[in-house]
Amino acid sequence: MSTQTGRSPLAENTVVDVDVHLRIPLEELADYCDEPYRSTIKRPTYTAVHRSGWDRYMGGNIQKESLPDAETVYRKVCEGFDVDYPIINAFPVLASVPEDDRAVNMMRAYNDYLLDNYLDEYDNFRGLLSVATQDPEAAADEIDRMSSEKRIEGVYVLNSGAHLPLGHPDFDVMYRAAEDHGLHVAYHASAGAPFARDFPIQDSAINRFMATHVLAHPWAHMLTVTSLLVNGTPEKFPDLNFSFLEAGLSWVPYMMFRLNKEYGMRRREAPLLERSPEEYIRDQFYFASQPIGEPNDPRHLERILDVVGTENLMLATDYPHWDFDHPDALDRHLRQFYPEETRAAVLADNAVEAFDLSI
Amino acid sequence: MGEHVVVSASELSEGDRVVVELEGREVAVFRLDGDLHAYLNWCAHQGGPVCEGALTGTYESSYDREGNEVSLSWCREGEVLMCPWHGWEYDALTGECFSRRSVALPSYPVEEVGGDVVVTL
Ligand code: FES
Repeated sequence: MSTQTGRSPLAENTVVDVDVHLRIPLEELADYCDEPYRSTIKRPTYTAVHRSGWDRYMGGNIQKESLPDAETVYRKVCEGFDVDYPIINAFPVLASVPEDDRAVNMMRAYNDYLLDNYLDEYDNFRGLLSVATQDPEAAADEIDRMSSEKRIEGVYVLNSGAHLPLGHPDFDVMYRAAEDHGLHVAYHASAGAPFARDFPIQDSAINRFMATHVLAHPWAHMLTVTSLLVNGTPEKFPDLNFSFLEAGLSWVPYMMFRLNKEYGMRRREAPLLERSPEEYIRDQFYFASQPIGEPNDPRHLERILDVVGTENLMLATDYPHWDFDHPDALDRHLRQFYPEETRAAVLADNAVEAFDLSI
Repeated sequence: MGEHVVVSASELSEGDRVVVELEGREVAVFRLDGDLHAYLNWCAHQGGPVCEGALTGTYESSYDREGNEVSLSWCREGEVLMCPWHGWEYDALTGECFSRRSVALPSYPVEEVGGDVVVTL
């Protein structure tokens, strides 16, 4: 992808990218679904999965990249960005499927599609299975079903538009299944319809995509982190790791310290917790780098990295979305501020540990 | 270092551009408003191929305190170079970045010499 010649410093390292998205055409997905869902998806009333109408691509002036097949993922991400192990998610917006039973059927279809068309194609590909949060029991069954697949490393949970905040005890069956099978839980937010539909009503007054895009991911993650801690989910499932994709890092210090403070004052409202929220976050939560913040003074980013802790940080590109980060956007800070050992941890080792990756 | 013929002048009409590799660097030459401009094809954001992006316009806005009104106008049509990776905007006539005041695309001297377009690195 580089337009200037020269060898990338990343070529020497093992690099794991924890957030690579596919674009799976719904017509193809339909063939993995059962009837009557197959027909609904092939002949939708409006669109099979409700999307927003934002001007995402600025009049078509920025590229609308997609990864339509395994070979493209290999060429663009592995060869183009020097990523050794892409952790691929199907990026389904299942929370936008209005019929719960159809969402469940599509969930299975997405997972089968991912296995058949991507994970079976290249030895270095790894994947996350997707779940439909409309039906936590069905999500748990799906985790059981997929857990024997050796290239599945975790569970992908869309946390925009989830019907209940994700620490609600209804989801415990899902977390229990993930923990039983040693699968990591990765949350990913969306700036599409689920944010517009299910977040506070003020969202509907936003009239530029920039505002939606700045807020959608951290708001969803803040709600999820708060819900998990207040409900004691990490205490209930101490062997489970959780990661938060696509909101960068700068929101994390605020949440750790604010939750500590509230916990100090209102411990009885989160009585399952045995330790401070910050300790759970540091022990069980991981954060993906993209979109890396862009402070005017780059040293401020170093401080954020220090506070979040480089041991909780994983590289992500979010490729091929329009707001992807080239791996060097993070790596140039790592090279500048940290010893090689820390750099190697962030580029790969932390993800290996968080997902217990088989590489 | 040196002078490089990149294209013959007649092949670069008003509004056109050409991207060439010179001494291991990708350099683009634009003819805009009758003048030639040469920039490095390397976006200051994350190294995207900025010179292959759209030449578009952009919005300018001002606030009239007295009338408590914000005016919004689309301007500079065809003079704003937008990086195809994430949309950073640059003034195609000067190389200056619109959103980061201290940033500009590296530029090179470029002129027409005897019917050729010549860039000096
Ligand atoms: S690389 Fe040009 S806008 Fe990001």
